[in-house]
Amino acid sequence: MLEVDGLKKRYGDKVALDGVSLTVRPGEMYGFVGANGAGKTTTMRIVMGVLASDGGEVRWKGAPAGFETRRRFGYMPEERGLYAKMRVGEQVEYFGRLGGMDAPAARRSADALIERLGLTDRRGDEVAGLSLGNQQRVQLAVALIHEPELLVLDEPFSGLDPIAVDALAGVLAERTAAGVAVVFSSHQLDLVERLCDAVGIIKDGRMIAGGTVAELRARESRKRLRIVVTGAEPGWADRLPGEIVAKNDRPPQGDPAGPDGDQRYDEVILRPSDDQEALLLAARAGRVQHFGWQEPSLAEIFREVVA
Amino acid sequence: MNAISLVARREITVRSRTKGYRYGLVVTAILVAVLAALPKLLGGGSDYTVGLVGPQADRLQAALSAQAAHGDDLTIKITRFADEAAARRAVANDDVEVAVVDNATVVSKTVVSQTLSAILDTAHRMVATEENLTSAGLDPAKVGAAQQVRPMTELTLNGSGEDATIRRVIAMTIVVILFMLLIQICTWVAMGVVEEKGSRIVEILLTSVRPWQLLAGKTIGLGVLGLSQLIVIAVVGLAAAQLTGAVPQLPDGTYGVVATTIVWFLLGYAFYAAMFAAIASLVSRQEDLSGVLTPATMLLMASYLVGFVAAQSPDGPLTHALSIIPPFSAMVMPVRAAVVAVPLWETALAMGLMLLAAVAILFVGGRIYQRAVLRTGARVRWREAFGSAS
Ligand SMILES: Nc1ncnc2c1ncn2[C@@H]1O[C@H](COP(=O)(O)OP(=O)(O)O)[C@@H](O)[C@H]1O
Ligand SMILES: [Mg+2]
Repeated sequence: MLEVDGLKKRYGDKVALDGVSLTVRPGEMYGFVGANGAGKTTTMRIVMGVLASDGGEVRWKGAPAGFETRRRFGYMPEERGLYAKMRVGEQVEYFGRLGGMDAPAARRSADALIERLGLTDRRGDEVAGLSLGNQQRVQLAVALIHEPELLVLDEPFSGLDPIAVDALAGVLAERTAAGVAVVFSSHQLDLVERLCDAVGIIKDGRMIAGGTVAELRARESRKRLRIVVTGAEPGWADRLPGEIVAKNDRPPQGDPAGPDGDQRYDEVILRPSDDQEALLLAARAGRVQHFGWQEPSLAEIFREVVA
Repeated sequence: MNAISLVARREITVRSRTKGYRYGLVVTAILVAVLAALPKLLGGGSDYTVGLVGPQADRLQAALSAQAAHGDDLTIKITRFADEAAARRAVANDDVEVAVVDNATVVSKTVVSQTLSAILDTAHRMVATEENLTSAGLDPAKVGAAQQVRPMTELTLNGSGEDATIRRVIAMTIVVILFMLLIQICTWVAMGVVEEKGSRIVEILLTSVRPWQLLAGKTIGLGVLGLSQLIVIAVVGLAAAQLTGAVPQLPDGTYGVVATTIVWFLLGYAFYAAMFAAIASLVSRQEDLSGVLTPATMLLMASYLVGFVAAQSPDGPLTHALSIIPPFSAMVMPVRAAVVAVPLWETALAMGLMLLAAVAILFVGGRIYQRAVLRTGARVRWREAFGSAS
């Protein structure tokens, strides 16, 4: 288990991290989300030991992570880097050996990975001659080669086409199934929602929300009502108790609001101060077609907490 | 296998695969082979072919043979011709270099070399004088005896003259090779550092290798390449000298000079490689490299020039001092040792000081590298590089 505990980092006057904490369990896929400049890269670099923190601690399996521990982590930095003049196979093997494997093990592992990532006929090519997508795969292979127990991936999905995204997601899912802890940063929230067991949201160097996606959703879920009413007088919604988040008076295509298609249609997203009062008001105003708590998407939660 | 040797092996594999390295090796080997054969081609043995026609041919032949017997490595091959026409044909066909007709005319295709001209002139004077004296009524036997003059013995203060020239050629070769190798390999070190820093691959490397291991591996790997290049040069050079027969003319102690030059290369390399690596770690782009490297390159260049001066005046006070002072000693001392005999204690002192300097710069350079190599973006300032790690 990776425990990041109260990390602090400043660059001159600029506070980049102000007590960042998060936990990633074995077999868990952790999505680290936040706006640009929120502190994701800084946190990951400190976890990997390539940047010194000004305070706080990184622990692995309960003990402070030192150099030898970190050798067993796999890392994909935000700015990708490979030896342009090295061949794919020999490059991947090289990083395996640096990660502590002996020559035959590194070779076997490299062969398996290269095969898994569909690079077999590129094995002998120099990295400089590969397409960007293939370079990204080699980068992933370099992070995975020494069979790390923790994977730290900084924006691994950025710049990938949908097929490559699915391929990468598949590889990562295999790893978590094998008990590897994976943490990756991203601002593709739909992707994080789809893939991750746990999510942490960082803003201006502080964690402002964290937990499993279900937990986050539960925390945010009984907050918004979706109300659909037909045949009401204009302006009825203004009397609803609470704050109106969104309004829509055009019925969705092919989804008539009811038998009287030419009637007025009102859809309201409400952050109610009194839900029962809202229900009464809606029922009095017209015909209630829908009344219920809205399940927020991660993107909505994100906007909610970051705003 | 530990990290340092893994890094070193990668450097060797990848670098020795480049065309630049292979061609460079072949070209230097050829250059050195030519240089090594040079004493034979220039200073040493001379072979001349001379054609003779006319009644004095016998006596001219005797006079020429006498000179050939006295001269070091001087062979004169003599061919006799029946008449001038035959002799001219032989000259025209390059069968002989020159033909002397009737002890009066020298026939040659182009201008006769000074040495050969002098040899022919001497023979001509001997035969002509002998003839004049005999026709003036002197006893031919006495004239013959009077002509027997012992040649002067040469006494050069710094060994024999030819020896000194060869020593100087060897010394110059050493300076040029040391300079070329040092600047080449150290530039590779610097470019490698920037490659890793600029591509950010260093960020992955440093999660499994410590900065000093990375730096040590890179320097050792490229150093091994440099050393093997130097050894190839030395072996090719000495072999070429052997094959062309120049070896008997190589001054005493040449092998020792070659051996100590290798030690000096290693010392100089440790010093400059650490310096180049530390400086290179301050920048992130290859374009910025030559700018920041200028002071270090200048220092190396200065050593080179001083080494050249030293080859000319191996006994001068400046040469003497700089052959002890690091880092100049790395180039001046091997040069001085190639030309004159250097007391053992001076060599030991110079090597000891250079070793100290190299260790110091390895230490300082290693710290700078460690601080600067992970810093992205703008050039790292010296003050930051020396200051406490942030
Ligand atoms: N080397 C640096 N020098 C100064 N400020 C930096 C440096 N690296 C990052 N920062 C600042 O720290 C903050 C966090 O950056 P970063 O961790 O890269 O954010 P993210 O990865 O979430 O986009 C940003 O405000 C950024 O400008
Ligand atoms: Mg980032």
